[in-house]
Amino acid sequence: MNATSQLHPKPRVRGTVGLMGALALGACASMPPPTSNLQAAHQAISGAEQAEAGRYAPGELSEARAKLAAADTAVSAQRMTLAARLAEESQVEAELATSKSAQVKAQAVNDEMKRSTSVLIDEMQRNSGEKR
Amino acid sequence: MNPLSQVGGKPVKTIIATAVASALLAACATMPLEPDGAAQARAKLTQLQSDPKLANRAPVAIKEADRAVRTAEQAESDKDLGAYRVYLADRKVDTAKAQAETAFAEDQRSTLIAQRDRARLDARTREADAARGKVAAARADSAEEKAGADQARSEADAARDAAADSAQQSADLRAQSVELQRQIDVLHAKPTDRGLVLTLGDVLFTSGQADLKAGASSHLDELVAFLDKYPDRTVAIEGYTDSVGSEDYNQGLSQRRADSVKSYLTGQGIDATRLSASGKGESDPVAGNDSAAGRQQNRRVEVIISDPTAAVR
Repeated sequence: MNATSQLHPKPRVRGTVGLMGALALGACASMPPPTSNLQAAHQAISGAEQAEAGRYAPGELSEARAKLAAADTAVSAQRMTLAARLAEESQVEAELATSKSAQVKAQAVNDEMKRSTSVLIDEMQRNSGEKR
Repeated sequence: MNPLSQVGGKPVKTIIATAVASALLAACATMPLEPDGAAQARAKLTQLQSDPKLANRAPVAIKEADRAVRTAEQAESDKDLGAYRVYLADRKVDTAKAQAETAFAEDQRSTLIAQRDRARLDARTREADAARGKVAAARADSAEEKAGADQARSEADAARDAAADSAQQSADLRAQSVELQRQIDVLHAKPTDRGLVLTLGDVLFTSGQADLKAGASSHLDELVAFLDKYPDRTVAIEGYTDSVGSEDYNQGLSQRRADSVKSYLTGQGIDATRLSASGKGESDPVAGNDSAAGRQQNRRVEVIISDPTAAVR
């Protein structure tokens, strides 16, 4: 906390500092919830769900949900800084789930193409082997 | 390092300040310079950035990951904050890598599509070739079958024709024999061992004369017609008499009457080489000479028509 670290404690004003610290903590306790972070996390999770992360990146998706739930719990505990961090962690986790799902799907499409191509080539070789 | 910048001015104080700074640095050195895990995030990012197939494929995400890693690498005494930053950096590097891999897979796809299309085209070409071959083979088979069928048909036709021919032939033969029989019936000829025997009665001749009566020609014309129709047949003409008169006379008379018939036939266009005439006299009576009726039967000319085919019975 920069506000407190900038204070140069002197014996005379120690009581004042203690009071101000208490005030600062009080200010912290009354901080508003990190609404935008929580919203961003929610959006990232629903984006991951649309990307079928439940199927292609289930570990990441459930971790993102767990992080968001923890963020909500932190909000309830008035620990807004922690809540903001947890919400942001949930968001990046959900974004990772989305990206991984896209990767798995793209790779699956390619694998299927390779497979069908090699099946075609195998069949051709088998047919031509039978014929000749 | 804020504490150092606050140290100022006088030499003595500088030494002290330096000592203090050293002490602070030593204190700093015992603190973690960067949070746990930041180095691993950096290593993953470096690997991504040095992968030629991925490095340029997700530039925005990689830049963002790089920024997050740099933030995570900052020395931080707040362990929670450090861990939080490392967490973000790690996930962002992973995200950048996943996006780069996705882009790479998508870039590969056009090549894969081209490969698959080529394989499909090859397969279809071969299928078409095989189908063409089968069609050609089937066509050849059916051509062979057709040829076989044609041959069988022509053989059948030939057999049928032959059967028809033989049927026609037997029909012809039957018709011929029917016709011959009809002719023979007209002639009142009689089949015998010697052939068809046509007996010309003495009514055709004036008594004691060899000349044919005028009305006899109509009877002989039927014989002429028959001989015209069957040119391969030859005729033996034999004259007979009864026992009245001398034997020599009867012999001569019978000869003259036979000759008379022969000359009539040649006069009607029958080749003389087919005809022979002989007088048998009174040698071979067909009835008794003791009655007028018997003697009349004995006075006769027999025309014996050869039967070369023996078809007529």
